[in-house]
Amino acid sequence: MIKSSTNKIALILVLLFGCILFYVGTDGLNAFTAEAARVNRLVDEQPKFPNVTFEDSKGRNYSISEFEGKYVLITFLYTSCTTVCPQLEMNMSQVYQQIPKEYMGKDIVFLSISFDPTRDDPATLDKYKDYFKSDGETWRMARIPNKAELDALLKAFGVIVIPDGYGNFTHNSAFYLVDKKGSLMNVLDYKKVDEAADKIVKILDGEKGA
Amino acid sequence: MTQVFYGLLLYIFLAMPPVVHFLESIMVLHMHMQMPMLVASGFFMAPFFQKRFPQFFSKWNGDGVPGIVLFSIIMVYWTIPRTMDEALTIPAVELFKFISIPFLAGVPLRDSWMKLSKWGRHVVLIGFTLLFIVMGLLYVLTPVQLCNSYLVIDQFTLGWGFLTTSIGMIVYLIYAFVVDPSKYEGIPPEDMSSSDE
Repeated sequence: MIKSSTNKIALILVLLFGCILFYVGTDGLNAFTAEAARVNRLVDEQPKFPNVTFEDSKGRNYSISEFEGKYVLITFLYTSCTTVCPQLEMNMSQVYQQIPKEYMGKDIVFLSISFDPTRDDPATLDKYKDYFKSDGETWRMARIPNKAELDALLKAFGVIVIPDGYGNFTHNSAFYLVDKKGSLMNVLDYKKVDEAADKIVKILDGEKGA
Repeated sequence: MTQVFYGLLLYIFLAMPPVVHFLESIMVLHMHMQMPMLVASGFFMAPFFQKRFPQFFSKWNGDGVPGIVLFSIIMVYWTIPRTMDEALTIPAVELFKFISIPFLAGVPLRDSWMKLSKWGRHVVLIGFTLLFIVMGLLYVLTPVQLCNSYLVIDQFTLGWGFLTTSIGMIVYLIYAFVVDPSKYEGIPPEDMSSSDE
């Protein structure tokens, strides 16, 4: 009798432990993947865009302050990528087309950042941008030549880049929306083009109304 | 107790940085080699704890159910993609893995298995077979990269690892249900399972 009651207590304790473990381990059942946890954390913390120097497809150098007072929609890519990046940029180009022309370049700028600065020089980026009908002005493609600055940015935004050993990289992809003051305000699913475009347009419309 | 010694040796071996690094560099090795071997190391070390604290095990795990539930919770926990990822990026999670799998899964498994009835064991095996099929299909059919530290192709391999393991478990279950060993080995069926029955 005593034996069975202690067993019941033990079972209850074990189940309780299990619930706590799963609850804590998944941020209250919100994040079952590290990616979900990362996005939740970024949206919560809204990290500031670090001070880095870009070199864009036209060879111009500038920092994020170039875009002060504008929203910036950012993706990370490398041009030798044959898997996710073309799809990511294709989707970005669809979002680009859905944003009303009046906002483009004035209230919002698109920026694709390469994390492969050795191969993605301005000439390569210039060629690459044409595939996606990027004009190099309202949608810019740039590399960050300084390795330390690049790493700082990737770390701040939680972008994990893994070389696959064949000269390619694999990385977690998303649209990153940076606000007018240079803080990350939202991370959008790059596979849901319409949803992302709707959200952005809503934000821009809201600004106009205000 | 030679097996306790070998269990400890296996544990130390698995905790050596080059071994950790190698086993964790490939997703399928991480989940289907490192983790089961950690369970095994705890399984071998279990008699040490059972001898030391016989009261504790008989009192709190008399029928084997709390132990096997604890084992299952720990195992399921480590199949969550996020936990595998964070074991690589967060040292505290890695430490928790090396403590929880041998001592909260391996040890209770050893203590519980023989205490469970034949049907209890079958329920556990069927449960894990279903889990492995679901996890296998999830990893094979989703084109989405679930882990940040591993490639989609690694995930695919892992999925097939789950499915082939589940096939092995199904074969065993069919065998357990269909074949009566006493007919072949001259052992009465009662002796095949635990004395608790």
